[in-house]
Amino acid sequence: MRLLVLIINRLLWFFPTILGLMVITFTISHVIPADPVAFVAGDNATNEQIEALRAQLGLDRPMHVQLFHYILNLARGDFGVSLYTLRPISEDLASRLPATMELTIVSVLVSTLIGVPLGVISAIRRNSFLDHVVRVFTVSGLAIASFWFAILLQLFFAMELDWTPLQGRTSGWGPEHVTGFFLVDSLLSWDLSELRAAALHLILPVTTLAFPAMATIVRFTRAGVLNAMNSNYVLYEEAMGFPKRVIIWKYILRNALIGTVTQIGLIFGILIAGAVVVEAVFDWPGLGYYAVQSIIQSDYNAIMGFTFVTGVLFIIVNLLVDIAQIFIDPREA
Amino acid sequence: MRKITSSRQRVSIKRGLIPTFLAAVIISVTALLAPINAVHAKNTFVFANASPYDTMDPQVVFDVGRVAYRLNLYDGLLRWLDNPPKLNPWLAESYDISSDGKQYTFTLRANAKFHDGSPVEAKDVAYSIDRILALKKGASSLFVKVIKPGSTKAIDNRTVQFNLNKSSAIFLATVPEIHVMNSDLMKKHEKDGDWASAWVSKNDAGSGSFKLKRYDPAKGFLAERFADHFMGWGDKYLDAIEFRTVKEINSRVLGLMKGDFHGADGYMPQDQIKRLMKSDEVNVSEEESMRIFYFIIHNGRSPMNDINFRKALSYSFDYKGFIKDILSDSVARNPVPLPNNIWGAPQGVKGYTYDLDKAREHLAKVKEPLREITIGALAGYGQTEQAAVLLQSALSKIGVKSKILAETWPVASGKMRNEQQMYDLLPLWKSTYYADPNNWVGEMYYGPNIGSRNNSWYQDDQVDQWITEAIGSTDQAVRAANYAKASTKVMEDAGGIFVYNTKWFGPYNKSVKGVRFCPIGNAQEMRWVYFE
Amino acid sequence: METLRFLLKKLIEDRVALLGALLILLLIFTAIAAPFLATFPEDIAEFHPPNRLIAPDGTFWFGTDRMGSDIYSRILFGARITITIAIIAIGVSVIIGVPIGLIAGYYHTWFSDLLMRTSDIFLAVPQIVLAIAIAQTLGPSIENIILALSATYWPFWTRLVYAETRSIQKETFIEANIALGASPIRVMFMHVLPNISSSIIVRTTIGMGGTILTAATLGFLGLGAPPPSPEWGRMIAESREFLPEAWWYATAPGLAIFLVVMGFNLFGDGLRDILDPRIRRSVRHDD
Repeated sequence: MRLLVLIINRLLWFFPTILGLMVITFTISHVIPADPVAFVAGDNATNEQIEALRAQLGLDRPMHVQLFHYILNLARGDFGVSLYTLRPISEDLASRLPATMELTIVSVLVSTLIGVPLGVISAIRRNSFLDHVVRVFTVSGLAIASFWFAILLQLFFAMELDWTPLQGRTSGWGPEHVTGFFLVDSLLSWDLSELRAAALHLILPVTTLAFPAMATIVRFTRAGVLNAMNSNYVLYEEAMGFPKRVIIWKYILRNALIGTVTQIGLIFGILIAGAVVVEAVFDWPGLGYYAVQSIIQSDYNAIMGFTFVTGVLFIIVNLLVDIAQIFIDPREA
Repeated sequence: MRKITSSRQRVSIKRGLIPTFLAAVIISVTALLAPINAVHAKNTFVFANASPYDTMDPQVVFDVGRVAYRLNLYDGLLRWLDNPPKLNPWLAESYDISSDGKQYTFTLRANAKFHDGSPVEAKDVAYSIDRILALKKGASSLFVKVIKPGSTKAIDNRTVQFNLNKSSAIFLATVPEIHVMNSDLMKKHEKDGDWASAWVSKNDAGSGSFKLKRYDPAKGFLAERFADHFMGWGDKYLDAIEFRTVKEINSRVLGLMKGDFHGADGYMPQDQIKRLMKSDEVNVSEEESMRIFYFIIHNGRSPMNDINFRKALSYSFDYKGFIKDILSDSVARNPVPLPNNIWGAPQGVKGYTYDLDKAREHLAKVKEPLREITIGALAGYGQTEQAAVLLQSALSKIGVKSKILAETWPVASGKMRNEQQMYDLLPLWKSTYYADPNNWVGEMYYGPNIGSRNNSWYQDDQVDQWITEAIGSTDQAVRAANYAKASTKVMEDAGGIFVYNTKWFGPYNKSVKGVRFCPIGNAQEMRWVYFE
Repeated sequence: METLRFLLKKLIEDRVALLGALLILLLIFTAIAAPFLATFPEDIAEFHPPNRLIAPDGTFWFGTDRMGSDIYSRILFGARITITIAIIAIGVSVIIGVPIGLIAGYYHTWFSDLLMRTSDIFLAVPQIVLAIAIAQTLGPSIENIILALSATYWPFWTRLVYAETRSIQKETFIEANIALGASPIRVMFMHVLPNISSSIIVRTTIGMGGTILTAATLGFLGLGAPPPSPEWGRMIAESREFLPEAWWYATAPGLAIFLVVMGFNLFGDGLRDILDPRIRRSVRHDD
């Protein structure tokens, strides 16, 4: 019963949070000093042309009317049209979502697959040489500027050694469209050269994006394992003569992993934030790249769309994590 | 600290990962060893373009960065070709101009077809100009003042008649911007009176040399040769062209050097051009273009409304340092608001030099109090930032304080239309939209254009009179003389700081032949190109 | 005095934290002494086009940039910008965030909920996204970067202070003070705040690192200080056009950012160990 109350309480806050988010993004984007309409109208447009377009886009109405219409449209799933291309924002966002998802998911996988074992090993062999190396590595991961790291990788692996492509998602048009995930689509159509291209293009952006996320995971896993190793339960089991291997697997790792899973919200935040910069450096045609482009073009419908979608995704992930946490450890909630 | 590890446990940790790892290795190895299929048909030309192709609608944009689809998928009645640019008959085989200069009658070719096989007819031309006027975007500003919607008549299938409000000497020069669209097809896709804008932003309704095959706003477009094009094809041609968006300059350069791309934009920084020239894969062809670089000066605001202050500014720019050291002499000094290589450009004008003593002399004569001035720059366009910084450093030596504001092009272009918001100075380029002197001095310093294309708030009765006369006259000698006088006068008034005229350095794969450069399309029309 | 000596002793024992402290001191020293350390201090506003893009040598230790200025000298002056942005932005965030957190934590009403949910909305969007949107809106300048960072970072302190206040409230000495009739403001600022200050100090130290990174990112995206400012992120952005030939152009500023952020992170970790033994070093800060 108490669990249910906690969960409902979380859920009840969901909509006001989203509404608040809409108000914030709207406020920011509508005081933009630039005049996007003049830009959209073109280099040689006359002032009448600009005014006509402004009216057509509804940007001549009072602010509160625009906000009201914006919220109303959002409720209907309509993000409006891009001021720049005049295409629906929802279409643009949807077409770019798979690129970001692929990059993010591969990064999560890579950072978890490397980060968790590293964290476990460095905890088990605490203060060993390996532990120190891992710590230097994680400290670097959190201190390095991702745009600089990305440029270094490009400079070395793409320009000097020519092992990987410099940028982009594939060298051609990509595999036949099924899911929008190039790795999956190329396997589905068994197009190995596309698979190869997609994999090669992923290497540098994933490395850049996974590095700080991995550092976070290592730190959490290491702390979780250390905590678990010192817990009474493990000390007791050990005293009872259970094989250590079993203890590590059954108890320590499980607990450490739960700790990591509850941090997914945080890691997701790191990745989305990282994606904005990483996609811009690597010309990765995803949401982050779209956001940076929209900002450059002062396309505030698109900026609002991106911020809103990111915010909603983030809120949902955190909501799920919160709920998961309530189930895992009700005391914490 | 309890030590609870042993070698056996470490093995067991690994054991769990082995199958997954192996599977991953097998897949990656297979993928890496897989033969690289020639992703493109052998005869496909791949061009790496800096600007993204946000739309395929030829009538809503009017910039040089995205000119490729307009030139290759669509045709106009006339077309600019070669350098110096010449106006050639294209969809029209001939034209007549009435004696009062208001009526233009074009006769269309009999064999021109759209990509769906239907003939190109006069009604399509009338539809196209009316669509431009209705959408009020792209090139429409060239036409709104001279053509009324609905005034263009299809006399018969092959004869179309434009009826101008007033005679205009530059009308013919702007006709190539009327990209002719298939009106029957367009009307079929029209929704809520949108002139089929939604549909045509992703599709093709043209008659051009190439036919749209694939389009993705995030990637670019692919088009196949249109075998039935009215111009016919020789024995050497491309089967397909692909224009891909590659924003990062290093990627364009590397791709060219590796042979992944066969061509790219011709206005790269000189440091990259030098890199390309060293490559075995790439040829860099050089042409004198018509794209001048200058600082807009806000003539309407104090202290720039004082000619002495403007002259002090003009003497404070290190032309030589900028052209020789920063741009490695890849451009030519151009002292007036007209490219040196267009007819009408005044000959033997010396222009200003970098001379701080003269700058101080003129500054001493300024009556109004000095203040800190704002120099704009276009964020992401390194050259404008470097020019602004260079000017700022010289101005500080003569005691003029300034601050730099690097903003994005949309922000800057918005401010350029607003007398209050406009920067005191802003460095930028003026490209060729139509090859007529009016494109530069006639747009940039003509009184009636203040606030739209005259972003300097410069107004001079004499200059206005010369330009008005030049627009109204069809006598090229009179026009040339007037533009020469006008541009010299603007220079003497120091209406702007005029720096250089660009050279075009087109990087192409060595196997590419037949590239035809014209300042209007920057060699992006591909119908003559072939692989050797 | 006693505590300070204790702190110093602990700090010297923890070599990693000491390294962090040294890096921070180096940054501060560089920022103050930039005009004396620089080999070409005038290169901040003066340019020498004939010298452009020279590789590092005996004269130009870190090479020269696109305008022919000495990169080493510019890096030193860039330290001033970095430290100014970080200190002001974090200062403002603390000034906004801490009182809100105290109030929300101290009172148990709908208003507390409202305050916390408002801060949650700000936390709902990744900081960099919101900061980019605000910085772009206001136009590129250092002042606006500081504003954007302050507007997006304050909720971190609100959250921290809220949680700490709630947990400390149950302690007997706080309850005793309330029972004795101390005013809420007095309890909050005289009793609660000093007892949670160590967490705030730790959070603030580590927050400096994150703020410097975000500020550099905004500079890299062209939203920061205008040219010819020697802001580190901007220098890296400028260099891209000249890669790979001018490899040195991006190297020095990137390394500078890296060392400074690492300094704050290491020092913050060490402080946490010393000030707050309950929390283990290995738990990560969250931004």
